[in-house]
Amino acid sequence: MSKVLLAALPVSLRFGLAILVLLLICIQALSTGSIPIAVSALFGLTELDEMQSTVLWQLRFPRLLLALLAGSGLALCGALLQNASRNPLADPYLFGIVSGAALGATISTIVLPEWQLLTPLFAFFGALLAVFLVLVIGASSRWQRLESLLLCGVAVSFMLSAITTTLLYLSEPFAANRVMFWLMGSLSQASLTHVALISPLVFVTLMLGLLYRRQLDALVLNDESARSLGVQVQPLRLVILLLCAAVSAAIVACCGGIAFVGLMIPHLVRSLFGLSSVALLLGSVWLGAVFLASVDTLSRSLLPDQELPIGVVTSAIGSLFFLSMLFKYRRG
Amino acid sequence: MGQNPVVEFQQVQLQINQQQILAGLNFTIQPGQFVALLGPNGAGKTSLLRLLQKEYQPSSGQILLQGKAIQTFTQSELAAKVALVSQLSGPLFDLTVADVVLMGLIPHKALWQTNTEQDLQQLKHSLELVGLANKERYSFAHLSGGEQQRVLLARAIMQKPLLLLLDEPTNHLDLYYQHQVLRIAKALTITVIASIHDLNLASRYCDRLLLLNQGQVVADGNAQQVLTQDLLTQVFRIPCLIDQNPFGNCPRVSFGYKDDL
Repeated sequence: MSKVLLAALPVSLRFGLAILVLLLICIQALSTGSIPIAVSALFGLTELDEMQSTVLWQLRFPRLLLALLAGSGLALCGALLQNASRNPLADPYLFGIVSGAALGATISTIVLPEWQLLTPLFAFFGALLAVFLVLVIGASSRWQRLESLLLCGVAVSFMLSAITTTLLYLSEPFAANRVMFWLMGSLSQASLTHVALISPLVFVTLMLGLLYRRQLDALVLNDESARSLGVQVQPLRLVILLLCAAVSAAIVACCGGIAFVGLMIPHLVRSLFGLSSVALLLGSVWLGAVFLASVDTLSRSLLPDQELPIGVVTSAIGSLFFLSMLFKYRRG
Repeated sequence: MGQNPVVEFQQVQLQINQQQILAGLNFTIQPGQFVALLGPNGAGKTSLLRLLQKEYQPSSGQILLQGKAIQTFTQSELAAKVALVSQLSGPLFDLTVADVVLMGLIPHKALWQTNTEQDLQQLKHSLELVGLANKERYSFAHLSGGEQQRVLLARAIMQKPLLLLLDEPTNHLDLYYQHQVLRIAKALTITVIASIHDLNLASRYCDRLLLLNQGQVVADGNAQQVLTQDLLTQVFRIPCLIDQNPFGNCPRVSFGYKDDL
C-alpha cells in the first residue's frame, strides 16, 4: 500500500520529501541533548553561548555526520550483499566482520593495553582479517559457490568469537567490560577524522553500485541468467564483498557493533520503494542515515544523564521489526 | 544461398572430470533455422547449450559463431549475439516485469548510460510480441510460470540476439503455454536452438531436429527424417509408434512402455 502511494508521487516530490525528513531528523539530533540548543540558534537567528557552541560544533555535529554516514554505509552494504548473494539474511556482519573487529579490539585492550588508543585501528584490521580468512578458506573450497562463501563466513565468525571469548575470560574484569561496552556500539567518540575515513568508502561503494545497477538486478535472478547477459558474476561479487567489507570494517572500527541496520533497512526499503537496484541503493542510503541519526538521538535522550549503547537500541528495534514481519507474513 | 552459418561445430569434444560428455560434434546451423536438441537425459543437450555460452570449453575441436571462434568473444560480446532463456526457480526478491526485460540492454549499454525513450519503446514492443502488453509494472515473481517464461523471452528479444538458446523452455508449463512459448519463439524468425523433451512439440514447431544420444548426434534432419520408429525406440529404450499429427503436417510420436508392444 505504502509502495503504491509513494509510486503515485512525482519523483521530484519524493526527493523533496526525503530531504525534508532528513533535515528534520538532523535538526532534532543537533538540538536534543543534556544541553538543549534552540532550533533558531541552529539557523543563526539567535546567539549560542560558548558552551553551546562547543557542544554543537565539537560534539553533536561530528556525531550527527558519523550517524548519517554509518547508517547509510551499513544499509548500503546490506542491500548490496543481499542482492549479490540472493540471501535476504545477508548483512555486513555475515562474513565475520564484527567478530574480527571484536578480536582486534580485545587484543588492543587486553593483550596490548599500551596500544589501547589504537583500538579502532586494531578493530579495522581485525575485520579485514576476518574477510581475508573467509576468502582464503572459501577459495580452497570452491568459493564461487555462494553457499560455501556464506558457510565460511559463519565458520570464521564463530572461530574468531571463540578466541575473543577466551581472551576475555582470561582477562581482568575491567578490561573485559571496556571491550563489551565497545562492542555494544556508540557514536560518542565521533570526530571529523572518522567522518573523513568513512565518507569516501561509502561514496565509492554507492557510485559503483549505481553504475552496476543493471548487473546487480541481473544477479537477483540467477547466476546463469546473469552470465548470459554478459555479467562477470564472480568478479562483480568479489568486488562487492571487498567494498562492503572495507565500509563495514571502517564503521565497526569507529562506532563498535551496530547490529540490524544492514539487515533491516534494505527490507524496509524494498517494501517502500521496490527492488530495482537504483531505488534499493538510494533508498537504503537515505533510510539508513535517517534511522541511525534518529536512533542515536533516542539513545542519548531515553535515560536521564546517560546514554544507551546505540547497538542495544538498534537490536531492540530490529528484533521487533522482524517479529512484525513474521506476523505480517503469517496473516498474509 | 551463400549465407554464412550462424553456428558451426567442428569436431567438438567435451570431457568433464575425464568423462566424455560430447563426442565428434560436426554440424552447422544456418540463419533463421529453429533447431530442436532432442535426446534422453544425459544425452548432452544442456552441455551443448553451455558450450555456446562459453560456460564450458571444448576439450578439442572448435565452435564458430558467424565464422569466428567462440573463445575469442568476451562475455559481453557474446551476450550481444547469444541470448538464453532458461528455467528460473522463483526469485527471492521481487522485480517488476520492466526491470527484468530491461536487463536485455546490459550487453548494449555502457555502465553510465541511462535508458532512452527508444529503449522504453522497445520494452513495450518486446512485451507486445510476447502478449504481455501493458504489464511493465507487474511483479515478476507473482506471474504464472508461462508468463515468467514469456517475460524472459521478451528480455531475450530486447537483447537483439543473433542466436536464441532455449533450455527446456516448456518444462513446468501447461499445454497452452507450451505451445504459446514455442509459437512466439518461432515467430521471431531468428536462429533458435532449443533443448526440448517433448518430441511432438519439436515436430510441430522446429525446422530441424538434432537427436543426441550418449554425447553424439545420431540423427539430424527434419521431423520426418529424425522421428522414425526404430531410431526413437533404440534411443529412448521404449517402444513408440509414429503417425500423422492431425493439427499439422508433421509426425506425431506415441510412446508405450516395455510390454506395450
